[in-house]
Amino acid sequence: MADRVERLTNLLALLLETRRPLTLHEIASELEGQYPDAGQARRAAFERDKAALREIGVEISTETFGGDRAGEMGYRIERSSFELPDLGLTDDEVRALQVALAATRPDSAIGEEALLKLGGVGGGVGGPIRMHLPELPALPIFRSAVAQRHPVSFRYSGNVRKVEPWGLLLRDGFWYVVGFDQDRGARRTFRVDRCEGEVAIDSAIVFERPADGDVGAALPTNPLLLGDEFAAEREAVVHIAARRAWLVEREIGSERILVRHDDGSITIRLPFTNEDALRSWVLGFLDDAELLEPGDVRERLIEWLRAAV
Amino acid sequence: MAQRPATERLRRLLIILPWLMERGEVSVDEVAERFSVGVDDLIRDLELVSMCGLPPYVDEMIDVFIDEGMIFVGIPRLFTRPLRLSEVEAFELLAAGRAAMQLPGADLDGALAKGLGKIAMGLGEDDTGLLVVAPTPAIVEKLSQAIENRERVEVRYQSSKDVAPTDRLLEPFVVFSSQGNWYTHAHDVGAEGLRTFRIDRIESLTVIGQAENEAPDSMPEPGIWFADAEIERVTLRVAPRGRWIYERYPVDEVSSPDADGWVEVRLAVTSRQWLERLLLRLGDAVEVVDPSSMRVVRSEAAARVLGCYSVKG
Repeated sequence: MADRVERLTNLLALLLETRRPLTLHEIASELEGQYPDAGQARRAAFERDKAALREIGVEISTETFGGDRAGEMGYRIERSSFELPDLGLTDDEVRALQVALAATRPDSAIGEEALLKLGGVGGGVGGPIRMHLPELPALPIFRSAVAQRHPVSFRYSGNVRKVEPWGLLLRDGFWYVVGFDQDRGARRTFRVDRCEGEVAIDSAIVFERPADGDVGAALPTNPLLLGDEFAAEREAVVHIAARRAWLVEREIGSERILVRHDDGSITIRLPFTNEDALRSWVLGFLDDAELLEPGDVRERLIEWLRAAV
Repeated sequence: MAQRPATERLRRLLIILPWLMERGEVSVDEVAERFSVGVDDLIRDLELVSMCGLPPYVDEMIDVFIDEGMIFVGIPRLFTRPLRLSEVEAFELLAAGRAAMQLPGADLDGALAKGLGKIAMGLGEDDTGLLVVAPTPAIVEKLSQAIENRERVEVRYQSSKDVAPTDRLLEPFVVFSSQGNWYTHAHDVGAEGLRTFRIDRIESLTVIGQAENEAPDSMPEPGIWFADAEIERVTLRVAPRGRWIYERYPVDEVSSPDADGWVEVRLAVTSRQWLERLLLRLGDAVEVVDPSSMRVVRSEAAARVLGCYSVKG
């Protein structure tokens, strides 16, 4: 039997060159001797080839004939959907992309392949500053859905969510998808690494992104305000020991310092909506931090500690 | 030798052919190196596709001819352009580019920005929806400057095991962020070796002279710098709501979840304080499995912290 690459290349050539869709019968007779003669084996071999081409990124468009050939399928490949358009990238621009990939996704085979397509090469080293991007299979799917404004559905915390994705956001090492949750009728933010299973795109629908669908504003920068979007904002007062004071001041800013004590310790105020996040933040300092207010949260924190003793 | 899968060979060919056609005449070795294919594989596959084609154009469609280590390409007819970027490739380029634009020193009007703009335009999509927000601490910029200038710096550093910050002499090589935290790999002059430091634990930084040590050929990979076998390991049982532990920190292994979604996680514990913080913050969402000597860590830490609250445990 002929090498499979030969048959696939011939099939590609035929479907790219044809001016009208071809039936499987026509394809088999053009590629004489390369497909099995028997109908079922021929169909199976062709379906395998279609799948192989799809795997490398070639979509075969299918149409159903009418008239005297009603019900028969015709196949061809649109050149425009096959070929990379000339992006007009300069050598400098391709090199800049290579450096960007080396700095953020070193050793990415996918990135290298993309660079080769653009006329560049993979590999190389990033500059002295690098940011390692997490890799998640759902990300490219979400990006396509965002760019083409198609709704998506996925499992999250055990439920199926249907979302109009406005954008993808990487912050503090995590990817988030921000969008309109159709069932809940409100904006929601989801951690991409917590989406379970496959992400399905509904390409039949194109949604409108609202003017105020600002993705960057979707996540408050203060983690203590994260997670509980509807809780009222409250203020905590915390005492921080001298040896941790500089760390805290740098994290929250000088304007949140209520008192600077003589021993170098500080008392600070912190807005929060998420009590769990606040408790976690305070306990992260062990015996170098004491939550003073609010009283009820302090009581619950003491209960939490007692349960751990 | 096992044959590479047909799809992989074809995918590579569809990248190589347009590149060859643009040049007309290239050495086999250069092509093999550039596209990471073996010379024999390359010759065999090129000879194979040169036979491909359809009547009446057989032998003309892909006009490739190899002689004395050189590849000659005739008038191209098919496969003159590479395949369009796949979804995954487009994401890879755009995300990498957007992230790199956030790094200190990125030129907002430079080649990278222009290249990203052209790719987004070429995809014919509105691409405003992909955002990378990565605030970089001021120390990152200072460190990267020191790296560029090959300088030695003195830092006040709060390690996770010391009660108070200590002064250290460092010669930084790389600054990087991973899982939301910034780190630097640097030569620690006092310890005489390569160490990794968390940027948010550097209190202050002063340049004090020229670096004397060369950067090693390879830096530890992300997540690997804890692989040091000397660092103590602990095994924890973690409830679903405590999963940020293994999402946030490098771990050796995570078991598959039991019926209630709990998993066992083995990870490096750089200090007792670090483990105390983890256990107190997670409360009953975590249990120490192993070593048994660590099972008292939580209650001892809880009692000590309760002491701050002037109440008896």
